[in-house]
Order: sequence, then C-alpha cells, then structure tokens
Amino acid sequence: MSIEVRGLNKKFGDFVALDDVDVTIPTGQLTALLGPSGGGKSTLLRIIAGLEKGDSGSVNIEGTEATHLPPQKRNVGFVFQHYAVFKHMTVAKNVAFGLEIRKRPKDEIEHRVQELLKLVHLSQFSHRLPSQLSGGQRQRMALARALAVEPTVLLLDEPFGALDAKVRKELRDWLRRLHDDVHVTTVFVTHDQEEAMEVADEIVVINEGRVEQVGTPDQLYDEPANDFVMSFLGEVTHLGGVSLRPHDVEVESSPHHAGSIEGTVSRLVRIGFEVRLTVLTVDGEEVSVVLTRTHARALGLEEGSTVFLTPAAGATVIPRMAVAG
Amino acid sequence: MVSTSTPTKWALRAVAVGYVFFLVAWPVGLLIRRTFEGGLTNLTDALTDSNVVSALALTGKVAVAAVLINLVFGVTISMLLVRYDFPGKRVLSALVDVPLSVSPVVVGLALVLVYNGRDGWLGTGLEDNGISVIFATPGLVMATCFVALPLVIREVVPVLTEIGDEQEQAARSLGANAPQTFWRITLPSIKWAVVYGVVLSLARSVGEFGAVKVVSDNVAGKTQTATLSVEKSYQNFAQGEAYAIAFLLVMVCVASLIVVALLRPKVHD
Repeated sequence: MSIEVRGLNKKFGDFVALDDVDVTIPTGQLTALLGPSGGGKSTLLRIIAGLEKGDSGSVNIEGTEATHLPPQKRNVGFVFQHYAVFKHMTVAKNVAFGLEIRKRPKDEIEHRVQELLKLVHLSQFSHRLPSQLSGGQRQRMALARALAVEPTVLLLDEPFGALDAKVRKELRDWLRRLHDDVHVTTVFVTHDQEEAMEVADEIVVINEGRVEQVGTPDQLYDEPANDFVMSFLGEVTHLGGVSLRPHDVEVESSPHHAGSIEGTVSRLVRIGFEVRLTVLTVDGEEVSVVLTRTHARALGLEEGSTVFLTPAAGATVIPRMAVAG
Repeated sequence: MVSTSTPTKWALRAVAVGYVFFLVAWPVGLLIRRTFEGGLTNLTDALTDSNVVSALALTGKVAVAAVLINLVFGVTISMLLVRYDFPGKRVLSALVDVPLSVSPVVVGLALVLVYNGRDGWLGTGLEDNGISVIFATPGLVMATCFVALPLVIREVVPVLTEIGDEQEQAARSLGANAPQTFWRITLPSIKWAVVYGVVLSLARSVGEFGAVKVVSDNVAGKTQTATLSVEKSYQNFAQGEAYAIAFLLVMVCVASLIVVALLRPKVHD
C-alpha cells in the first residue's frame, strides 16, 4: 500500500480542516480526493506532500515514515492549481530544476528533459519563458517538472481548476492516458464529480474534514454510503421516502405499477434532447424528473398533465435521511 | 480613464512642471552652472585638494559598507516579515519604519549616547578593547545604515508578498532545501526590487548629513565625509569647492538611476 494516513487531525484556528482521517491510497493507481470546497481535501494533499503539518496523526509513503520529513525529502511530485511555474526560467530549465538540485550529469538532464517535454507535447517550446505559454501548456510543463524527479507519488491540487472548460476536458483525458503510460501512484484533488468519475480508478469522498466513502466510481455511484455521497455525485430527488436520481424516476400517464404515486406536472423545461419536469405529487412532494425528449413526447406531457411516478427497476435508491438535501 | 477637458489637462501639466522646476530643476541647474562658472577650475581645484579627495573616498567607503550591510539585513528582515509568523512581528515592522520618521540628528545623538567612548553604555567596553565607534568610521557606517534601513525592506516586502510562496513550495517539493530555494527561486524573483532598494540606499547613504554630522568630529582627512566637507567649504567661503563637491554628489545619484534604467528589462511581468 502506497500512502497510508492514520488519525490525521488539522485545525486552522477554530476551523477543523481534518478530523481524525484514515485513508489508504493504493500503489500505481489514479485516486481522486473529491469533495466540496473547504472540505479538507487540499489540506490532506498538502500534508501528504509535507507542505503543511498535521496537528496529530501519521503519514507513511511507500513504507517510509514521512510524518516529520521536510517536503524535499519525501520524493513526491506536486502540481499546483495555479501552476507555480518558475517565471524567470525557460520551460526546459523549469523541467530540469529537480534534476539539477540532485546534481545529475548534464547530458543525462538534457536527455531526460527532452524526453519529458516530448511526453507533454512541449518540445518546440523548450526555450520559451512560461509567460509565453497558455494556461494548459503551463500546467503540462508543471506536470513534466514534477515527473522529472521520478517521484514515488504524484500529487495534483485541483490541477485543471484554473483552465477553461474545453482545455480542462482535453487535459483530463490526457492525464488519464499519461497515467496509463507512466503508472506512478497519482492523487488528485477535485471538486468536480464528473472529473473524478471520468479519470480516477478510485475516489475518496471528503466532506467537512471527514472521509465519507472510498470506492471505485461505479461503487460510489451505485452504492453511495449516505445521502451526502449520493447528492454530491449527481442530482438527487425524493420520491415516497427514498432518494434517487431524477433520471431513475419512471413516468407513466396511467397507473400501471402498484405503488405508483400520482402527481401533476408543474413545470416542464426542455434542454436539447432532455426534458426536465417538476412534478407536484398528491402527497405534496416536489419531485424532479429527467427523461428524453422522445419519451416525453410519446407520453404527451405538458404542464398540468397528470402523471404516475415509480422508481425505475434497477435504480440506485437509498432511504431518505433527516438531513437530505 | 476619465477624460478631462483640454484646458484642464494643460493647466495640470503646467502646475506639475512648474512645481518640479522651481523646487528641483532650477536650483540644481544653478548649482551646476556655478560649478562650471570658471570652466573646469572648480572641479580640478577640488579634486587636487587632498582633504576633498579623502572626504569623497570616506563617503564612498561608508556608503558601500552601509549598503552591503543593509542589503543583507534588509533582505533577511523582508523574508522574515513576509514568510514567517512570530510574536512581535508587527512591532518589528513598525520599528523598521522609524528611521523614515525620526530626524537623522536624533539618530546621531542616540548612537552617541550608546556608543561614545567616555560614558556610553556599550561604547566604554568597546573603547577598552581598542574599538572606537563614535568619531570614527564605524560610527559613520552605523549612522548611515540606520537612516537607510527601511529603503531595501520597503522595496522588497511588497514584491515578496505579491509573488507568493507557491514557487518556493514547488521548489521544496522538487528537492531543494531552504538555501537552494532562496538562491535559485526567491532571489531571482525579487532581483529588481533588491536593485532598486540598493540604488535608493546608495543615494541616501551618499547624501546623508544630519546623523553623520553628530557622530563625526569633522576632522578633514579623517572623519569628514563629502557632505560635511561641502558644509565646511561653504562656511569657509570656498564656494567654488562646495559647488564642485555638491555637483559630484548629484552625479553619483544620477549615474545610479541611469544604470538601473539601462539594466532594467523592457518587458516586466
């Protein structure tokens, strides 16, 4: 097991950032720390890197007790949200930094830098300054810089957070492919559940300083441990005392299924191929439903229509809790 | 930008130019004219007077020493103020600004109280060990250091704050220890602020009069700096010599400003 965090606590003044966190992050995988802003995920990552110190608890990296090691002795690669490029150095010098600190022979450094710049598709920019690169290119350079020292683990703190949607998506795919090639244990922080689901092998959901659930994207989506995980991974609505996804609500124009709940369509919004309904049930519940345009047309739905709702067969359903959102 | 009517614009320009002209340009211009009134004689006379030459040399020595000391302490204190939290930090920050508000004469007097050889709190002990501070070069350097102390710090602190510590953290995660991070990452990032601080300190140190006047016994050829020698020449009705030395002092400052303007890269981000 690559990174083991045990009983980690961290406070900033009165604010509890991490509350007795235990996490094990497996070797060679791409793990996402997912959670809302201010939930403690970045703090956890920074403590693993040694950039922040926990108040109590321990961090073990690849069998090495690292709790009290300074960052430069942990052999981790760290990628920052705002790139943290060395502004006064060329792209090649940025990437070479870690190797020069380690006093590697000159020709070895040059060779390795070329290799890495090729890997991140920046070969033709090696003599430019970071200020002459786009955001996406800077972040790829920062990644090459972190990989240059052959880190035991690669840590990325909201790596695509400062980029626009299109570049974000490209880099996401690219990170996944890169990881499939390089196989270094990678942990990245994100608040974007789609990003986590798409890229990660394993997701650690963190909220209010605690680990809510650890699992593969499918496990989290299909078997959420609680209402928070379920609502964080996608839209949630409530029907007859259970929480479920809006697209898992079956809509019929007449009561075919036993236990179906009657309601009236109070709002109908069409977005491309999708139709979103708000249905007011006879019990006074407001249920959100998503169905395809075709399906909605087949049912002849419009505002004011009477419909009958049931959870679809095979839907992920969890009992509704008091704090359901 | 807010648009202003043309007459107002011209009026504002006239006020600004007039102000600087009457306060700075005209008096300095007159000084230069007087210096060269008899051709180069004023300058050559001054530069062949061994007392003037030794005064200029002493000013150079004191200024360079003070600038070097303030460079090291200024950068260190700036790092401390921006990158670390410790009790008493705000007091330190306030103390750094004291030399800006306190009259240099007060600085000189304070130094005399502590370091004079007869009854100074530290001075007697130093005197017993053969080190004189007051009425000697160390006192001149200390007085100059004191008045120029905030200049490097006030240039470097805002830049350090603005660049943040992410680059330093990145360097640490890549294996650099604290000194390596400082030399390779922090110092190159604050380079221009440091250069400006040094130039300002140099100009201030070369021109310092009040504090130096108190701690120096004004012996020509020994503890008389260039500014003190300007005063003495002027009082002795050797106006020509006074103008010549003053002109040289102005030139040092102009030259350092020109050097910085030339060195500074055109694109800065």
